[in-house]
Amino acid sequence: MSSKKTRFHFVRRARAHDHPHPYVPELAEELRKGNVTRREFLRTATLLGVSATTAYALAGRIIGQPLIPQARAAGMRGGTLKCSMRVQEMTDPSTFDWIPKSNVSRQIVEYLTITGPDNITRPYLAERWEASEDLKTWTFHLRKGIKWSNGDEFGADDVVFNLERWLDPSTGSSNIGLFSSMVTESDGKKSMTPGAVEKIDAHTVRLNLNRAELAIPENFYNYPTAIVHRSFAETGANLSKNPIGTGPYELVSFGVGEKAVLRKRQGYWRGDVSLDEIQYIDHGDERAAAVGALASGQVDLIYEIYVDQLDVIAALPNAQLFEAVTAQTGVARMRVTEKPFDNKLVRQALQAAVDHQRVLELAYRGKGAVAEDHHVAPIHPEYFALPRMKQDIDKAKALLAEAGHPNGIQLSIDTNNDARWEVDAVQAMVEMWKAAGIDVKINVMPGSQYWEVWDKTPFGMTGWTHRPLGTMVLNLGYRSGVPWNESNYSNPEFDAALDDAGATLEVAERKKKMEKVEKILQDDAVIVQPLWRSVFAAGSNRLHNFKMHPTIYHQLDDVAVG
Amino acid sequence: MLVFLTKRLAFMVITMIVVSALLFVLLEIDVDGVATKVLGPYSSAEQRELWLERNGYRDPLGERYLRWLANAARGDFGDSIRFKTPVGEVLWPRLWNTAILGFWVFAVMIPLSLVLGVLAGMREGSLLDRSISITGIVTTSVPEFASAVFLSAIFVFWLKLFPGTSSMSDGFSFRELALPVMVLVLYDFGYVARMTRASMAEVMTTPYIRTAILKGLPYRTVILKHALRNALIAPFTVIMLQVNWLLSGVIVVEFFFAYKGFGALLLEASLNQDIFLIEACAMVAVFVAVATQTIADVGYTYLNPRIRFT
Repeated sequence: MSSKKTRFHFVRRARAHDHPHPYVPELAEELRKGNVTRREFLRTATLLGVSATTAYALAGRIIGQPLIPQARAAGMRGGTLKCSMRVQEMTDPSTFDWIPKSNVSRQIVEYLTITGPDNITRPYLAERWEASEDLKTWTFHLRKGIKWSNGDEFGADDVVFNLERWLDPSTGSSNIGLFSSMVTESDGKKSMTPGAVEKIDAHTVRLNLNRAELAIPENFYNYPTAIVHRSFAETGANLSKNPIGTGPYELVSFGVGEKAVLRKRQGYWRGDVSLDEIQYIDHGDERAAAVGALASGQVDLIYEIYVDQLDVIAALPNAQLFEAVTAQTGVARMRVTEKPFDNKLVRQALQAAVDHQRVLELAYRGKGAVAEDHHVAPIHPEYFALPRMKQDIDKAKALLAEAGHPNGIQLSIDTNNDARWEVDAVQAMVEMWKAAGIDVKINVMPGSQYWEVWDKTPFGMTGWTHRPLGTMVLNLGYRSGVPWNESNYSNPEFDAALDDAGATLEVAERKKKMEKVEKILQDDAVIVQPLWRSVFAAGSNRLHNFKMHPTIYHQLDDVAVG
Repeated sequence: MLVFLTKRLAFMVITMIVVSALLFVLLEIDVDGVATKVLGPYSSAEQRELWLERNGYRDPLGERYLRWLANAARGDFGDSIRFKTPVGEVLWPRLWNTAILGFWVFAVMIPLSLVLGVLAGMREGSLLDRSISITGIVTTSVPEFASAVFLSAIFVFWLKLFPGTSSMSDGFSFRELALPVMVLVLYDFGYVARMTRASMAEVMTTPYIRTAILKGLPYRTVILKHALRNALIAPFTVIMLQVNWLLSGVIVVEFFFAYKGFGALLLEASLNQDIFLIEACAMVAVFVAVATQTIADVGYTYLNPRIRFT
């Protein structure tokens, strides 16, 4: 996401704004000594409000690597992009539960920050931000002069409106888990902490958190955190009917299950974007249809290609394949409040019987990384490498016997066939569990049916998307009482350890604190998580400058077709 | 004839009412389930209760059913959960798309299968008969999902003659329609041709045809004037039944080629548990089924004067 205009802006700002967080010089020193990697340096420095350009320049100066900010793609511009992707309802961005929904809205409404394919978070609607030393007070300076498509001026009122709406439980937004440091609970009812969101002036918003939190800027680029106009609720809370946005495109037509057409809007605040028009075409759940459409030139991009389709794409003469290493995964999660999963020994037995490496090979052709049942990926900056888990059938049997099932146990797992690999992974694990006397019946259901029960079924395989930080997903899915805590896991010790790690700025220190977090989750055996998967997309050779984002967020500024 | 028609129509209406009652009980007896489906899994119990109150779900089942039936009769099936628009806005265009597909399937399939069937049945056991019959059996026994893949491989990936999907996203296109029509015709023509052949062959053995031939009429006249009318009675019913088959048979084809028709809609509605849309689709399907049956029965009496219903 860089146009010439923005980049100049970065440089100018870097000069004007010379009060980086006090930790930045220390971080630079750590980089020089080699205690943090370049990647960690960039990520942390940008989170603390140093501009990406400055951070890249700084890193380049320190370790002598050339300055490589994402270059403005040269050459081809313009064209109409036709992309095969599900076109789902697009009423309220804050309650989105599917990334395709956000890919349509992403071109209309924008975010305060933006995380690139390089995992670096940059300014977007927020021009810059500062964090207090204790990371409990965050001040966001919003960019001035941005106009909504209806002519209104974008400002602090919009941001305050969105935050208050997300943190109101009656909205039903998953963002409440993401920003749990701004939520208090009394009498079992959650609500926004009074004074958590503060409007300083027309373009400045301050967040006052209950506890230290580093990932605030990254949280602002989670797919349901798009900033909608302050009148969103009173005008019917329906983006597809009332598509007011700050983004580069306007919605021309929208048909659920059919097609969404977006056309370049005049007067966009970042200047010109490449594509004249973007069309998302829905080809239903039949994955072969999208490949057929690509082969016959009906589309130039397929939203996602699955691992079992790689050969087909490779065989198409005019196609190119895109791959991104991600923290996308699937977890066989157990609802710890349901029998027999309320017994930790049963859960640990299931865990011990699985050969994670083997599942990766069988279900995903080894394309990805081995996971370790704690939902923090090796590509996460705070990842702490615990000792490798080993398959141990005897141990599994012993655990099962200790749990009162000496003759084995019969279980049933729900999985959905939206992603074939999830079913394959479950099948591979089921075979391994069999060896330990655990007889698991597989219940394969269509995706939509699974998502009705994903947070209720006692035992289910749930797909989780990539998030740039491990703590982000742990806050979303494993903290006590958050909406997406599908396993109903609640461990105060874990919550405290997670708070502690999230509040720690020093990269090396935080990594150490993650050891405890990861260990608790792994030992409590809430999930059996076999693998981290790479994700793929396919495009025609008419498609230029497309970069695959690990979350398959469509950042299309420089993409051209022709 | 009037009595017969009235009877048939009454039977139609009764069938539809019975089906509608079954459908309603199956899908809407669990009111909390309805509310959860409409408001989504994150809705609170309070939200759901409010919604149920507001939409009259706390009334007795019978009352709710009658209200639903009255609305349905006017074409008002409520709002689709997935599409977030009135069901009719989605249903009628989709049904129209399937009608277009069906029209072209019939336009190709009926002449093709009748001609082939008559040719085969004219001289039972001839080489022509054998070839047509065997071809018919082979194509009919290949399921649509297999022939769809097969034809795609040839026409999309190899010859690059036709586009791979038929979502008509840039407006109606015959090129996009070609493959779905081919798959359906390929599957169905063999069946109709064989029914025609059997009927034709039977007619050809009757004494009046033998007489006609023996009295020296040209073979052409015998076939066209004497044999055909009687031979087409059975295929007529079969063809009417194909309308019915088409409505469900298109599901696979529409799904495979991403054709935005009724079959794909029905599948999507069931996969997404879009109950109001399922109800509407099911009612349409039942209506088509009983209506075609009625038309077939009426047509039968017209074609065959020996059959008289009272």
